[in-house]
Amino acid sequence: MALNVLIVDDSGVMRKSILRTLKICGIPLGEITQAGNGQEALEVLKDHWVDLALVDINMPVMNGIEFIEAARLLPECRDLLFIVISTEGSAKRIAQLDEMGVSFIHKPFKPETVRGKIATMTGVDDGQDELAEPAVQHGDLDF
Amino acid sequence: MDRTNLRNQLYSTAILTFEELGFLLPDEDVNDRQSQAGLSASSRIRFRGPEEGWLSIRLHGSFLPELTANMLGEEDPPSEQDQADALGEMSNVICGNLLPVIAGDEAVFDLDAPDVQISAQPPNSPDGEFVEECVVGIDDGRVELQLHLASPVTSGKD
Repeated sequence: MALNVLIVDDSGVMRKSILRTLKICGIPLGEITQAGNGQEALEVLKDHWVDLALVDINMPVMNGIEFIEAARLLPECRDLLFIVISTEGSAKRIAQLDEMGVSFIHKPFKPETVRGKIATMTGVDDGQDELAEPAVQHGDLDF
Repeated sequence: MDRTNLRNQLYSTAILTFEELGFLLPDEDVNDRQSQAGLSASSRIRFRGPEEGWLSIRLHGSFLPELTANMLGEEDPPSEQDQADALGEMSNVICGNLLPVIAGDEAVFDLDAPDVQISAQPPNSPDGEFVEECVVGIDDGRVELQLHLASPVTSGKD
């Protein structure tokens, strides 16, 4: 099963770096979409089916936690999985994410950390043999 | 705040971030060539929380395009905007990893967007009191990191 992934980060370089890591991981990728903040990510969700959202916390306009809370109110997103990828070091904030049922990856990260977390959450085979280029890319925004 | 721990964390976080995010191999010592490299870019990021302050980073040498290309996974020369974005993200990651050392694991901080300059002109020094610094050699140059706090440090081992 190929995963449709939404990458939400205000840094265009970081979005591309995360996408590069996903490709290195060998996670089977379907459609890849990107957004520069939570508000733009909500717009993406209106038009695209997403299985997994990789979300930064500190972003302008709408931060990552606000986005996750808003997305969970959308009926079509009830099965959407979230992983926060952030520099956040506060145990308090990480505990808050845990209570929200949101997984967490600390920046900087190793590809095997990302692969392991996604495989555990989604059950998608992370075999290196299944490295796949994304079928379609939308919303590759420059900020 | 344990100043020795802070200096060690600043150093180790810089090394780890340039290795894992930038795919560059920092040198523990700065050689003569690296020490003579000119300023090429700088970044300053402000944090707010139990402590307020700034982390400033100055890049000397010509490795920012390589660092950016590594992050992007592209061979084409990166644009200046992408280089600024890459340096800003490095600043963000290093600062975010340093903050628990300043105020403990429970403290919650907010980080402003990094202020990045791709320029050989020295940036203005951040406000506040200088607290700690470290220098890491990379490729043909070096990275200088300085931490400033808005309020004086009242405890330390140094």
